[in-house]
Amino acid sequence: MSNGSGLREIKNKINQGGEIIVKRTFIIIGVVVVVVIAAVLFYYFAIPPKIERNIKVGVIDCYTGPAAMFCKEALNGFELALNEINKEGVLGSKIEFTTRDTKFKVDIGLSMARELVMRENVDILVGTISSGIALAVSDYCKGEKVPLLVWISKSERITGEKGHRYVFSTGENTAMFGKAGGVALAEKPFIKYWIAGDDYEYGHAIADAAWRNLKQRKPEIEKIGESWWKIGEPDLVPYITAILAAKPDAVIFCTGGASMVNVMKTAKATGMSEKVQGWIPTATETAILRALGPEAPEGMMGTSDYLFYHPDTPANREFVKAFKDAYGKHPGFSGFHGYITAHFIAEAFRKAGALDREKLIDALEGLKIDSPAGEVEMRACDHQVVLPIFMGVTKKVPEYDFHISTDIITLTGDDVMPTCEEIMKARGK
Amino acid sequence: MEFGLAALASQLVVGLSRAMILFIVCAGLSFVLGVLRVPNVAHGSLYMIGAFSAYGIAMRLFGGSSAGFWLALILAPFVVALVSLIAERALFCHLYEREHLMLLLFTFALMLIFGDLVKIIWGAEYRSVSPPALLRGSVSMFGASIPRYNLFLLIIGPLVAIGLWLFTNKTKIGKISRAAAVDREMVSVIGINVSWVFAAAFVIGCYLAGLGGALVAPTVSVTLGMDHTIIIEAFLIVTIGGLGNMWGALVGSLIFGVTHSFGVLLWPQFAIVFPYAAVVIVLFLRPRGLLKSVW
Repeated sequence: MSNGSGLREIKNKINQGGEIIVKRTFIIIGVVVVVVIAAVLFYYFAIPPKIERNIKVGVIDCYTGPAAMFCKEALNGFELALNEINKEGVLGSKIEFTTRDTKFKVDIGLSMARELVMRENVDILVGTISSGIALAVSDYCKGEKVPLLVWISKSERITGEKGHRYVFSTGENTAMFGKAGGVALAEKPFIKYWIAGDDYEYGHAIADAAWRNLKQRKPEIEKIGESWWKIGEPDLVPYITAILAAKPDAVIFCTGGASMVNVMKTAKATGMSEKVQGWIPTATETAILRALGPEAPEGMMGTSDYLFYHPDTPANREFVKAFKDAYGKHPGFSGFHGYITAHFIAEAFRKAGALDREKLIDALEGLKIDSPAGEVEMRACDHQVVLPIFMGVTKKVPEYDFHISTDIITLTGDDVMPTCEEIMKARGK
Repeated sequence: MEFGLAALASQLVVGLSRAMILFIVCAGLSFVLGVLRVPNVAHGSLYMIGAFSAYGIAMRLFGGSSAGFWLALILAPFVVALVSLIAERALFCHLYEREHLMLLLFTFALMLIFGDLVKIIWGAEYRSVSPPALLRGSVSMFGASIPRYNLFLLIIGPLVAIGLWLFTNKTKIGKISRAAAVDREMVSVIGINVSWVFAAAFVIGCYLAGLGGALVAPTVSVTLGMDHTIIIEAFLIVTIGGLGNMWGALVGSLIFGVTHSFGVLLWPQFAIVFPYAAVVIVLFLRPRGLLKSVW
């Protein structure tokens, strides 16, 4: 009996031991599996995936002629942001860029874009100041499925009726400026308006948007005349004297670039700025007022989407300081747009997690980033950035040797942007 | 559209003042065309250099003071004259015998080089020159306000015209230049060093471009690209005036300036068309220009 019971005992023990061994094996395997899974998950989610090569951005813009100033500054802002971004890196890699000069010509811009995509193998394209070039390159990018980030050209058609999956705008556009002007002018007592401006896409687009929005809010207004001059027209005095002879209450000037300086100078020289209220979309833009110095008229109404002194936030002060240290001057709107464009690209690649154009586009849609002017968002429906617009009046101040914008009213993106429905309607969807 | 005589008069005044700038620039271009037979496309670049030099002297060296402006008005054209003298002695003087197409290409290349040089020296920023205190603001004339500076241009223009007349008719070098314009072989046959006559004529023509640039600086934004704008207008004006004829340049400038300012008043949406329509009409009626062409 004792033998039998002893044997059973041993058997039981062996069985138990076996169970223990089997259990242990299971536990070890389990732990290993969990560790492996965790490691894999960790690898994929916690450590960003590394990409083999640098991200290549092709910049096409106008570096000769009167527009060069804005384009150079946009590039400065872009470079400044990339220097910050590349310290940390994006997906374990860096963002590099190469530039091409469009000379403000559509055919050259288009061939430069092709060259960058086909020979330089850039991942994305960035540019330009010319709406004409932006629209042409946008069309090319749609065919080639290459993302294009438009930074400082302002035609609303880029992300409006001509918008598509591959084009984004990181700057404000004529619809936004025009609507801002319409909203602001509707508050004023003026009835008789004159519209004047540069005879090209930008000028007419601003005029249409401002007038449409003003008329909507204040139907009793009346347009008593229009004058359009060629781009770069040096002598605007005859235009202003003719406008003054017609005695309007206010003039909507739709000019850009070097004409801004001419029109402001002429408004002061002819005494127009003291007699008639003028509104110019970018009259309060720093680059323009800096160029004019003491020659700027006071009391000119204008809009700008970036001012280095407003809003007075730590983020803005930091950006202005960095920009001034690097390039010796205060940033204007184009420096700001160059800067946020770089941050949009970096953030989108981080979010996408791969060097893939389609994933980049998905990541950009609805992406929000912090900017010197506050949080800005890339609207998903039309790929148009949502940012505030500052309405103000030019004024001489002792702090700077140029005029600045005062009595600033901030219009938020939603106030001045066309709705997604309006955009889809314009695109015929 | 209703407007009174007052508006017409004020448009006439501002149109004439613009014509004065155009005349000064075009007289220089025409002089070079007449004497040297060089269609100098870089003339507009010299005008731009004149404006940038005026900016440099008036705003940078003298901080926008009135004295700085007057000094700039005197010195900036000499800066341009110096640049043109170097260009003439180093480059142009070897090329006079080439055909016109070569010269056209050469001066076009020079225009691009000058454009880049300006960008390197002054940067791409827009620049603005302050007029002197005396010429700031506007005066009321015919019930319209006319900038004082434009009235100043109306005084300067005729002075330059008189100076040019005296130079070409009363000085020896002026007479030789005129003679060279008509028949340069003959001038060299009688033992005159044509090379230096050409250099002098070229420098004087370019001096006028510089003067035009310095004069225009307070009324516009001094910027890259102002060379392109002026050179097209300048060639049109010397063509309708008669190639190489300085008085033709005066007539052409007056037509261009005044049709433009009246066009602005009459049909402001399409004002751009008026001066060019005038050019077409003149060339249709008189294909070789209004006054005698030396070509």
